[in-house]
Amino acid sequence: MHFFVAMICSIVGGSVYQLQEAPSQLVKVTNDGSFKSHLVWSPDGKKLLFTRIHQGKMELCTVKAEKSAEVVALVVPSPNTPHFDGHWSPDGKSIVYVHDILQGTDGKLQINEVSADGTGAKILIPHKAFEESPRYSPDGKHLAWVSTRDGNQEIYSIELANQKVQRLTQDQGFDNNPNWKPDGSRIVFASSRFGNFEICSMKKDGTGVLRLTNDSAMDVWPVYSPDGKAIAFTSNRTGSYNIFVMNEDGSGVRNITNNKSINNFAAWSPDGKSIAFISNHQGSYEVYIKSILQGRRME
Amino acid sequence: MLGLHWADLLKARAIAGSANGTAKVNGSAKSVIFIWLWGGPAQLDTFDPKPNAPAEFRGPFSTIQTRSPGVRYSELFPKLASRSDQFSLIRSMHSQSNDHGVAGTVGLTGSIAGAVGLDGKPKAGQARPTTGSIVAKVRKLDSGLPSFMVVGGKLHQGKKAIIGEGGGFLGASCDPFRIVYDQMHGMRIPALELGQGLTPERLEDRKKLNTAISDASRKLDSKGFSHSWGEHMDQAFALLMRPEARSLFDLSLEPASVRDQYGRTRFGQSCLLARRLVEKGIPFVQVNWSDHVEAEEDAGDGGWDHHYRNFQIMIDRHGPWLDHSLSALFDDLKNRGLLDSTLVVAVGEFGRTPKINDKAGRDHWEHCYSALIAGGGIKPGMVIGTSDARAERPSSRPCTPGDLAATIHQAIGITSEQSQTLGITVDGEPIAELF
Repeated sequence: MHFFVAMICSIVGGSVYQLQEAPSQLVKVTNDGSFKSHLVWSPDGKKLLFTRIHQGKMELCTVKAEKSAEVVALVVPSPNTPHFDGHWSPDGKSIVYVHDILQGTDGKLQINEVSADGTGAKILIPHKAFEESPRYSPDGKHLAWVSTRDGNQEIYSIELANQKVQRLTQDQGFDNNPNWKPDGSRIVFASSRFGNFEICSMKKDGTGVLRLTNDSAMDVWPVYSPDGKAIAFTSNRTGSYNIFVMNEDGSGVRNITNNKSINNFAAWSPDGKSIAFISNHQGSYEVYIKSILQGRRME
Repeated sequence: MLGLHWADLLKARAIAGSANGTAKVNGSAKSVIFIWLWGGPAQLDTFDPKPNAPAEFRGPFSTIQTRSPGVRYSELFPKLASRSDQFSLIRSMHSQSNDHGVAGTVGLTGSIAGAVGLDGKPKAGQARPTTGSIVAKVRKLDSGLPSFMVVGGKLHQGKKAIIGEGGGFLGASCDPFRIVYDQMHGMRIPALELGQGLTPERLEDRKKLNTAISDASRKLDSKGFSHSWGEHMDQAFALLMRPEARSLFDLSLEPASVRDQYGRTRFGQSCLLARRLVEKGIPFVQVNWSDHVEAEEDAGDGGWDHHYRNFQIMIDRHGPWLDHSLSALFDDLKNRGLLDSTLVVAVGEFGRTPKINDKAGRDHWEHCYSALIAGGGIKPGMVIGTSDARAERPSSRPCTPGDLAATIHQAIGITSEQSQTLGITVDGEPIAELF
């Protein structure tokens, strides 16, 4: 088997992030031809959760994380209205998602929680404004999400036990696509506060914002690696959408898909050995898994 | 110029043109591909960005340089930006209504006459034939192939089909022949859907065909369908009895690489079918991006009516899909030598509010929007008209859907005599700078 080692040319504080890839290890998971988005790995690493637009319906689906697996639609209450952008709870027993209550040519978004088998749905965040991108904290006690309840897209956190809501960002720009660091200390997100979308991170209370990318192109959908030392994200800086990986401080940016198609929605496997993403590089939008044999900051 | 007869306008322009040598009456286009972006794309997030506008207007996207000096697009359209010398852009479109139903009729017929909006009240006057029907009437094919085809389902606002997708007073024979692509079944012909799910592939089996025809006829009789529907089914069956006609719709005859180049979305594959149709001489092909305006629920790719989630949808879906598929269409037409003879127009019924609403969306805005126009003898690389600092209103050279319809007529060479004979009036005039 042919492997190569790609050394990311960045040295920050005496350390280098090294990424070892196996280019032949690209697994095509789905093959149903439908558009897909919002990809998340289950905590046990066995399944992937995503949104699919299929026969005119937007729905949550799961698939085993293996070659040519069968896509299974998650049957939730009110399945005929759009439900999308799901995220697994840390114990894998629940899924949070956006439920779109259609009204004429408009819709109302709310955040629901449902058991992983699709039963027992309840409203976690009632519709107040645009509510989207719910993400459990690693300890399962908080939920970060995006809302326009104060005017434009900002990131909020809710303590699930007492429903206490905290606004984490306050900026004229759009702040969205939140994702927790595995140790729960920080949240990475996309922000347009610098002119267009860049990747930023902040402490879980919203302070200590760091700008991690600085590019004239769009950088979105960031997600931490399981060890918290790297971040994968989508950028159109090559003229098409590709998946990039960088150190958590923004150094060492590397294109891991590197094609002229649309590659989006990176999801790191719980063991850190693979990145799943959605790509149309073979025609339709399908789920792929790419092996990352080693991804760690080298001292 | 509203209300003036199109033929008179053409005649006047011809006289003026002959004096200064700039205008042409008869265009060189043999076919038209009319791409209908149903729901209304946002002008600021596509081809008329305003990077210096306040944040609540400009949105989150940066701009990119195109091949046209000084012209910038939203960063979501890099492929089209690198091909901007192949088409022209109108940045000063404006319409008469912010109701999808009414603006849809205006966009498709060039006139508000007979339009019906959400209030259910028809606007004064008889609905005009849609542009495709007029072309079909003038350019009727001897081959028996339909002269006007729509790729995509019927256009709806809510559950009501809108006025203006048909032949109107020109008669049902000028209504479009409709074919629909979906990823589950490939190409479908709605006129045959009472016939046991017929597909072009199934028609290879004559026995099954005869059975299906009998079944369909019985169902038709029992349901009391009108004569005009029967005409459509007759036309559909007659067409599909001919192998060469059936092969027209069979995208599996295209190399997989070409299908991939267009994108495996409904819109992408519909654009590919449009190319196949104009290649065979169909004079007017309309590609409907979606059947409904809403982005979330649609048998197609979801419409452009982004009252909420506009920016996320633009990033994840509509931006790259339009960029990818329309660029592929331009490339394919050019490589096959078809672009000079095929007019391509891409436009919606209106634009979207420059000021972003409180749902990360933009609402309806008929006062200013953009259109792309290419090929068929149109000068490429031009920008017609400008909008003001926030893309709220045209600031120069305002253009209407009537002007766009008149431009299509001129490009495909509909003469004043033909217009007069048909009794056709267009509420606008050709955009002379494009010729």
